[in-house]
Amino acid sequence: MSGAGGRTSGDGGCLSGNDEGANAVGPGPVIQVEDLSYAYGDRVAVDGISFEVARGEILGFLGPNGAGKSTTIKMLTGQLTPKAGRAAILGMDVRGDNAAVQAHIGVCFEEKNLYPNMSAKENLVFFSRLFGIKRFNPLPLLERVGLAERAKDRAKDFSKGMKQRLMIARALVNEPSVLFLDEPTDGLDPVSSQAIREVIEEEARRGAAVLLTTHDMLEADALSDRVAFINEGRIAALDTPENLKLQHGRRAVRIRTREYTGDREYAGDRGSTGVREDGGVREEVIGLDEAGAGERIKAAVASEGLMTIHTEEATLEAIFIKLTGRGLEG
Amino acid sequence: MRRAAIIGAIIKKDLVEFSRDRLYVMLSVFGLAMFILVFWVLPGTVDETIDVGVHAPGMEAVLGALEQEQGEGLGFVGFDSAEELRAAVEGEGEPRVSMGVVFPEGFVEAVAGGRTATVTLLVDAAVPAETRTALSAYVREIAFAAAGRDLPVTQPAQETVILGEDRAGDQTPLRERVRPLLVIFILLVESFALASLVGSEIQQRTVTALLVTPARTGDVLAAKTVTGTALAFTEAVIMLLAVRALGAHIGGLLVTVLLGAVLATAVGMIAGSAGRDFMGTLFIGMIFMLALAVPAFSLMFPGVASVWVKVIPSYGIVQAIHTLSSEGGGWADVAPHLLMALGWCAALFAVGLVVLKRRVEAL
Repeated sequence: MSGAGGRTSGDGGCLSGNDEGANAVGPGPVIQVEDLSYAYGDRVAVDGISFEVARGEILGFLGPNGAGKSTTIKMLTGQLTPKAGRAAILGMDVRGDNAAVQAHIGVCFEEKNLYPNMSAKENLVFFSRLFGIKRFNPLPLLERVGLAERAKDRAKDFSKGMKQRLMIARALVNEPSVLFLDEPTDGLDPVSSQAIREVIEEEARRGAAVLLTTHDMLEADALSDRVAFINEGRIAALDTPENLKLQHGRRAVRIRTREYTGDREYAGDRGSTGVREDGGVREEVIGLDEAGAGERIKAAVASEGLMTIHTEEATLEAIFIKLTGRGLEG
Repeated sequence: MRRAAIIGAIIKKDLVEFSRDRLYVMLSVFGLAMFILVFWVLPGTVDETIDVGVHAPGMEAVLGALEQEQGEGLGFVGFDSAEELRAAVEGEGEPRVSMGVVFPEGFVEAVAGGRTATVTLLVDAAVPAETRTALSAYVREIAFAAAGRDLPVTQPAQETVILGEDRAGDQTPLRERVRPLLVIFILLVESFALASLVGSEIQQRTVTALLVTPARTGDVLAAKTVTGTALAFTEAVIMLLAVRALGAHIGGLLVTVLLGAVLATAVGMIAGSAGRDFMGTLFIGMIFMLALAVPAFSLMFPGVASVWVKVIPSYGIVQAIHTLSSEGGGWADVAPHLLMALGWCAALFAVGLVVLKRRVEAL
């Protein structure tokens, strides 16, 4: 057991012999998507996307509203049938026996679709029955998301953060090999958000493949092994956050000095370098890819008026805007 | 086996949700108690005798003759004064009568002598016009009898042919006639509870959480069907027991209310799926409730509904309940009604399943 609810697999269930859900995953990608497409009538929502997610990997799926994130998740979780292309979970085509696929997945929806008149414990036990788990102890799972004390309280009495933590716990009832998390920390306080991020990282360490959609670029950057930018149904970029920043972002050093002591010839004259003077404090940004950047940094560091030096990395949001020409909130 | 376990889990969950929702519980318990109370408050017998008060000074012989007429739908009660009789007709005196006849002093002498005498008829406003006309003709007969003469016509021979079952002297009391309406109401109350369960499952999108597990749409539909039918059937059977009707024909009545419960489940599925929110579900549920109650109302008030009432889905169920519980009918009598109800159940249930399936899949 990896800290999830204690359980016993049911009769003939697809979980039999799968004491550690994620351990059922063999070599190769857990999620495979090839040229997957879907359209609502004439409106194309997902347009030939391809990607893979490996065991223990967290893939951040980033894009504005209407970009095709939720439609992709709906196809992968069996809620929608793809119009074209192929998608497989653990090698099983999602068009085929959905029940076999769904036995191995956990889904945390953006909307808090819990049963409000049932307690936290009852919500989890009910879902364990759907997975064919005959003896299920929900307390370890509730403990893990910090809700053990409220196990007998009805979900309708929970705060937004507590409901979200219960949603996460529900997604883990079957110790899934694949986790689909749709905006799991949206609108939550920092404490609840951090608790949920820790659970996500634990699940990835356990071996679960995690597909995470979020608007929070910092969260995606911190959690994701790789990120996919999806825009208008297509993947605009897919790589590790680091590589995306290296490929598409601008590395720079921001230097603040009390008085200017460097060579004036580069100050403010180049498009890639910003210089600002304000009340005797001078701030300049030197792009690391610029010619002579090293010399200029050395000169600034050697100056007597040096106050601070900060390295600057491009943000995922800035890269997304650069690649797609639009923001993430749209 | 696996499917049965999943369906069982969803049914158990639905029953827990049902039992913890104050609205559902109030509708079911309060509705049942209220309907049973209504049944027992309503009159359980029908008095077919029309009581006529008579003030006839100096006409004791005539009154004696009138009293012999009793037992043929008329009951004559003598009053000492015209004022007392008027008060009795107006409901202010005892005994209460709905009509009165005041003969003037010297009536017998007047009619025997060929003089005109004015007889006053006192009629309650609720007495139908045909009864007033009948009473008027009766007074004419009394006048001839008082004068010792026959009517100036040859009395025709009369033969009365009763078409249908002769219920004279055995009229169905209001309590009996309201029974199908109460059963239909309790079934529809449960259909509303099911509609709310289905509606909240869709509106809160909990059903999408179900459908990303090994549970299938068919499992959800099967569970809702069993839950809705079981709740409606149980309530209807309790109702029939409480109004002492089940013993009349237990097999026929159980089959009838089972069909009614399936019909109610279908209605619940349609209303729950079609409503966009609670008010929408309530509105659609009320429309169904009113439409399906029409055959039961037409049974309570014969003559108010036309032949089209027979095409309403609940007609067969209403007729079967009435025939079995109030008229002593058997399988042969209700077979056409049950077949009609079965057809409607199948049609509406199919519509309910399709509507619910489409709504769930569209989420």
